[in-house]
Amino acid sequence: MGKHTEQREQKAEATTFMATNGRRQVEKDDDDFVDVDDSSLQTNQANYAWEEEYKRSWDVLQEDEHGSLAGVVNSLQKAAKRKRQLRDTDPIQRGIIRHLFILIDLSNAMQEKDLRPSRLSLTFTYLEAFIAEYFDQNPISQIGLIGTKDGLAEKLTELSGNPTDHIKALKMKKFMETGGEPSLQNALELARNSLIHVPAHGSREILVIMGSLTTTDPGNIHDTIARLMQDNIRASVIALAAEVQVLKFLSTQTKGTFGVAMNEGHYRDLLFEVIPPTAITTTKASANLVQMGFPARCNDSAATLCACHGKLTLGGYKCPQCGSKLCDIPTECDICNLTLVSSPLLARSYHHLFPVENFVEVPWKDAAMTTACFSCQKTFLSPHKVSVQLQSTTDAGRYQCKLCEKTFCTDCDVFIHDVLHNCPGCLSQPRRRAGGVIA
Amino acid sequence: MTSVITSVCLLNYKDDSNLLVIVIDTNPFEWEHPSAPLKLNLALKHILAFMNAHLAGRHDNRLAVIASHVGASKFLYPTLNEPTPGSKVQTKKDANVYQVFKVVNDAVLTGIAKLLQDPRPTLEEKDLGSSKIAASLSLGLCYINQALKSDGMGHVKPRILVLTVSPDSSSDYIPIMNCIFSAQKANIPIDVCKIWGEDAVFLQQAAHITEGIYMRPDDPRGLLQTLMFSFLPDMFSRSYLHLPGQDEVDFRAACFCHKRIVDIGFVCSVCLSIFCSFSPVCSTCRTKFAFQPLLPSARRLGAKAGASNPGSPRPSSSSTPSAS
Ligand SMILES: [Zn+2]
Ligand SMILES: [Zn+2]
Ligand SMILES: [Zn+2]
Ligand SMILES: [Zn+2]
Ligand SMILES: [Zn+2]
Ligand SMILES: [Zn+2]
Repeated sequence: MGKHTEQREQKAEATTFMATNGRRQVEKDDDDFVDVDDSSLQTNQANYAWEEEYKRSWDVLQEDEHGSLAGVVNSLQKAAKRKRQLRDTDPIQRGIIRHLFILIDLSNAMQEKDLRPSRLSLTFTYLEAFIAEYFDQNPISQIGLIGTKDGLAEKLTELSGNPTDHIKALKMKKFMETGGEPSLQNALELARNSLIHVPAHGSREILVIMGSLTTTDPGNIHDTIARLMQDNIRASVIALAAEVQVLKFLSTQTKGTFGVAMNEGHYRDLLFEVIPPTAITTTKASANLVQMGFPARCNDSAATLCACHGKLTLGGYKCPQCGSKLCDIPTECDICNLTLVSSPLLARSYHHLFPVENFVEVPWKDAAMTTACFSCQKTFLSPHKVSVQLQSTTDAGRYQCKLCEKTFCTDCDVFIHDVLHNCPGCLSQPRRRAGGVIA
Repeated sequence: MTSVITSVCLLNYKDDSNLLVIVIDTNPFEWEHPSAPLKLNLALKHILAFMNAHLAGRHDNRLAVIASHVGASKFLYPTLNEPTPGSKVQTKKDANVYQVFKVVNDAVLTGIAKLLQDPRPTLEEKDLGSSKIAASLSLGLCYINQALKSDGMGHVKPRILVLTVSPDSSSDYIPIMNCIFSAQKANIPIDVCKIWGEDAVFLQQAAHITEGIYMRPDDPRGLLQTLMFSFLPDMFSRSYLHLPGQDEVDFRAACFCHKRIVDIGFVCSVCLSIFCSFSPVCSTCRTKFAFQPLLPSARRLGAKAGASNPGSPRPSSSSTPSAS
């Protein structure tokens, strides 16, 4: 690791990239020094938090002709639901074993306070949540953190599948010090050096979080980008200041995504978009069946030697193939090389494979057939108690599963599709033979 | 002993009501099996006493009871026509019984009697699986979700207790796992009492992951004692008690192809489906696998990929010779 850093230590002439704003695309030239033109930033419509108009959220709510808010609230709810219903319920191929390096800009530009409390502290706060959620959805994936400042790149954590290591590193004071200019090239090369060694069946990804508009590189960054493309590494970028040509180029060339954070909420959205496993594009040839073992946890009354450290320990996991005891999973058995994982970890991602079909809305005219939600026992609003006018502006709040024909309330509908991923109605029915059709 | 007393005192300070969702496995094939050490009606007496004890613990403790039958899963209490406890009750009053107890007991007993009266599930369904634990857990989680939503103060502390006699049904593997993770996310412990028989692998994992208690009583005939001493304390008092832990947790999974429980399996690198033997195509995501032992087919696949995608790469795969 020290070697990598040394390699990258030679500083080159500072290269500044032009911030473009849609209309002004400046050809990027490594040796040119271009000042950032602030005036061009303001021409666009309110993209940044400080450009936004003062909004009064209560103005959005307007009473309908009967002086009731029910219709408005309902349409807002509907809008939220529609967003959810856009969800794809087709099982698609996703690369679930992922390897991701997060490059964090630790330059002075991160001290800017346009994102509150500051770009840096907001980034660290969001990253903590990001890491927890990432491992929730990508259970056997790995993350590594790289920081860049003073023209150097440094690994904050190695690529590993243990969220607590990364979160601990993010909490360390020494990693939060900023200084000088970032070096995009050094950081990318550092990540690349680690990523080219990961097995071919996993994805290789880089996420760049950049606050600075400039980078200090030892060589031509286009060579690095070409090497990333060659090694099938996908780089996505979140810029905190403005759209920078070279960052956009990097992400488009490597088939990643690019986004400029406009405000705190938007930043979070951009970051969390990286979490769901990406749909597989080109790596089909490297897909394979991997043999894995699901060890049992054992608690011996006497201490025995573990196979991984050769230490006397009490508890551990027993390799189902050779019977040796290991301290922690996921790991590879040191004796027989079998990959050992805990099966619940794998199961965390199964809801991506078997999503629950979207429920259909029940119109008011059929609403009298059901009196209560099947899963939470909440009684529905009876259609006889709702006036015809109100019925025309609201929905009945009943949603039906097409497969089991059970009816659910709005809360349960959202809970079933977003959290639970099981249809209680379908599960409660007598089991049909596999693939059987419900009569 | 002192720890028990302090916990009781502290419990009085803590202002939260407990919502206990009990899932009762009513699988008639197990309960009416000649070798069953306990009959259902006797076990129900124990369970009813336990429910009453829970309700008596605090004035605002809440209860929901779900039956997990073969081929069906339904609420026993609260039932649809009697939505909330404490509301008007149709049953006849009995001067000698605390009214809340009576409502619950009647609802559970009539509900189970109704379930058992229904035409017996055919043997074929029994072969395909046991009782509907996954469905009952899903119902319970939806109920809890609604209860937490309508309780704005955040005082309700939910937990789930599964009383089961059935063996694992491996076709329920994924639904049970989904339930476990949503329970874990919402901090809802799932306690499991396997009244007799083999360990239930998936429910054992459920208790382990959600930090609930998994227990198999030494003698099923002493069910009430197990229930009272291990499963009655709420989460707050549990931190002061030394409750039975799990020495060994079995992390085996069920294969997707035959629903067999395996300890070594083949995992698809794209979708993480588990298979018990090698097959050239993943049945879940339809990925074709590069079958390495057969070199010609592997080369053909590689050539195809190279042709369709000229910009990328042989070098990358040659730089990782030890891949997979
Ligand atoms: Zn060890
Ligand atoms: Zn081994
Ligand atoms: Zn509901
Ligand atoms: Zn359904
Ligand atoms: Zn199989
Ligand atoms: Zn697959």
